[in-house]
Amino acid sequence: MNTRTKSAIALLVILSIGSGAFARIKLVTLPERAATVIRLDNPRATLIEEERVLTLQKGLNKVDFSWKGVLIDADSIRLRTLDHPNNVTLLSVSYPPNEAALVWDISSDSDYAETVRISYLLSNIDRLITYKAVADKAESFVDLKSYLVLRNFSGEDFDKARVLLDYGEAFEQGIDHEETKQMLFLKSPKVPITKIWKFDAAKQPWDPEKLENQNVGIPVSYRIVNDTGSSLGKFSLWGGKARLFQDDGHESTIFLGEDRTGLVPVGEKMELYIGDSRDIVVTQRKMQDTQVAKAKNKKGDVVLYDTNERITAKVENFKDSVAVLTMVQHIGGQWDMETCTLDGRALRLGTDYRKKDANTLEFEIKLPARTEDGPAEKELKMYYHRRNIRPGAEPRQTIRR
Amino acid sequence: MKRIVLTLLIFAATARVGRAKVDLVTLPSRETVQLTIYNSADMTLVRESRALTLKDGRNALQFSWENTLIDPTSLEMLPRANADKIDIAELVYPPRVRNLGLWNIDSGVSGKVPVEITYLTSGLSWRAFYMGTLAEDEKTMRLQGYVRVTNNSGEDYENAQTRLIVGKVHLLDEIAQLARRQYPYGRPGEGRQMLEESLELGQAKRMLSRSRSLAMAPAPAAARPKEITKEGLSEYFLYTIEGTETIATGWSKRLMSFDTDDVPVVNLYKYEQQRYGNSVVRFLSFKNDEEHELGDTPIPGGMLKVYRNAGDAGHLSYTGQSSFKYIPVDEDVELNLGAVANVVVEPKLMNLESENYTFDRRGNVSGWDEISTFSIEVKNTRDIAVKVEIKRNFNTQYWDLTKSGDSGQFDKEDLDTVKFTLVLEPRSTKQFQYVVRTYHGQRRENWKATSQLR
Repeated sequence: MNTRTKSAIALLVILSIGSGAFARIKLVTLPERAATVIRLDNPRATLIEEERVLTLQKGLNKVDFSWKGVLIDADSIRLRTLDHPNNVTLLSVSYPPNEAALVWDISSDSDYAETVRISYLLSNIDRLITYKAVADKAESFVDLKSYLVLRNFSGEDFDKARVLLDYGEAFEQGIDHEETKQMLFLKSPKVPITKIWKFDAAKQPWDPEKLENQNVGIPVSYRIVNDTGSSLGKFSLWGGKARLFQDDGHESTIFLGEDRTGLVPVGEKMELYIGDSRDIVVTQRKMQDTQVAKAKNKKGDVVLYDTNERITAKVENFKDSVAVLTMVQHIGGQWDMETCTLDGRALRLGTDYRKKDANTLEFEIKLPARTEDGPAEKELKMYYHRRNIRPGAEPRQTIRR
Repeated sequence: MKRIVLTLLIFAATARVGRAKVDLVTLPSRETVQLTIYNSADMTLVRESRALTLKDGRNALQFSWENTLIDPTSLEMLPRANADKIDIAELVYPPRVRNLGLWNIDSGVSGKVPVEITYLTSGLSWRAFYMGTLAEDEKTMRLQGYVRVTNNSGEDYENAQTRLIVGKVHLLDEIAQLARRQYPYGRPGEGRQMLEESLELGQAKRMLSRSRSLAMAPAPAAARPKEITKEGLSEYFLYTIEGTETIATGWSKRLMSFDTDDVPVVNLYKYEQQRYGNSVVRFLSFKNDEEHELGDTPIPGGMLKVYRNAGDAGHLSYTGQSSFKYIPVDEDVELNLGAVANVVVEPKLMNLESENYTFDRRGNVSGWDEISTFSIEVKNTRDIAVKVEIKRNFNTQYWDLTKSGDSGQFDKEDLDTVKFTLVLEPRSTKQFQYVVRTYHGQRRENWKATSQLR
């Protein structure tokens, strides 16, 4: 059974203190916690702001703020007087030895019932964001929902607090210690999606035939743009776990998969990897990789050479729908492309494929649906030369699998 | 056994949830339940419908799942009618209580409201397996596909519509682990570390040894086996089993997925030293298409046991087994049945020469050619025709090849591998030779790409 004392954060106003040695006499008035705000706008720390009414006497007042069973960053504690900021002055803050506490010395020019705001960083209370998206059967849009999950393991119960995120309206919510609450906070129907299949020659195996009884999955993702066109774009979408479902056409859904997204600022894209397609098969093979000597030393050893390299990548679509495969190829070092063809048709850099960086090429290969005659097939052929390679100092090669 | 309990608590109007005086408790029973079971991960999507009796105003609904393997973060409830008048405000996981969730509902209607509750659970699984029966001439095979559904979830799902998903789903966390967390979403700062992971072993054992009273309720007497409808969704395939199933926890059930009588098959034998050593490996090859009486849907991966009809009395002999991967429609299937001795491939090096030596300035050898003559004998000792694929690897890409004899087709497979394909009549032998010239050291410069690309 939990024997935690209920209120772990205590505030005492210590009256009638004589001069001299500071005796820690702790009993006077225990001001009730008034308005409390839980600010969750910073994902790394949670700021609590609470208002209390202190009964101050004219002269010097000592206010003792102590906590037990909760984790408060003592350096983060701030006090602000709200009613008489010009008449009530915070003189000093002292930390008693071996105690989770601090003492404010407050000078007041009269007797006041002063409302103060105390703020501090409290550990073990935070929020998570989760997403749930249900795609239509055609996979053209999703109904997107986002949930806010409040987790309070701080040691403190909050009966009633205003909860603030970094956007949107504040709302009232109580949350007890060890309690978790899940609330719907964003509902956005019909958000357009783009479905992406991606083969990366550095990540996926090249030749499925060489893998005994294993399918090579082509990763499939949904892309959502955080903009007004998607009826989003009002604020950054927080990072969190997203679960994707799809309408199955029978008044039910299937679970497609889940992924974790990072923060998606307005205008940026969210890409959620849902699962693997095993109906698109890529078989990539190296058909040639030979050296062409450019210079030799006196012993006759090659000291500088180029290469002739040929790569063939066959893509088969066994699906009965069209798909656009993003294919990523890597060529290390200095190189130039001699010919690059798709089904025999020459592809031009810039228009037909993109150079993402010095060593990475990206192709978008449109795959028709499977027909009665069999799968739709496309064949990409690259014939290129890597230049000015010195034996023993070869740049990182493409990974051959 | 029923472990999932849904309780409707009706509170005094202004009471705070969780501490309020409970006026009334009702137990709406499950009306329908649908299971969508995955095989790429230990996961099942459960969708159940229940009728709640709500009152106008604030309602609280308690859902508990002691001793089951439900992922609490996946719980969702949606009204199936009056959706605009019913606001499911929040889902609370109260402190110091495990396996319990509390929905706070603001209702603008009073009376019966159908709702749908969905969640992910672990403990139900399915797998596909196959039986193949070859005709005596081994030209055709009867192929029967089965699915076996197993329930170890701790919950009995009675009369559940059962659906199976074929596909590879991306998951971040195992459902079983999420189900065993002390707190549904964990604690702040603990990362993904789970507290109290142990679902006590004793408890698991108890589940398994539970009474068999419910067992397998007999299906309503149908005169034929149930059908399974198959359809594609996104990158997956959905199998829906006709009618409903009752699978008590601890039990499993086998269902027929398809039965195809005469699938034409090719007896394919492969020889590739680098991969299989010196043995010939037998494959059964066919295609998942109409020509082979298949091709309606992909075939999920599984284990195939192959038998052969022996004699007229319906006796069988066991040929072997092979596991295979997922086969899309129109894809070729090659089932590895293991090494055999009744088809033999014997490569022999008949001659080795070297020539065209080059020398560097110091007089050391800097390049040469090697000319190897191989003779390959292929023997089929079976009484049926077979197809044989022989792959040869040259360990270098600087090679030329000439051949003679009845080698059939010959293809360049990749930069240092060629493939010979032969068809052998029953009880026959074929022999062919090939001469391969490999270029070494400086002689590589004399090699021309065009010489291979015939």
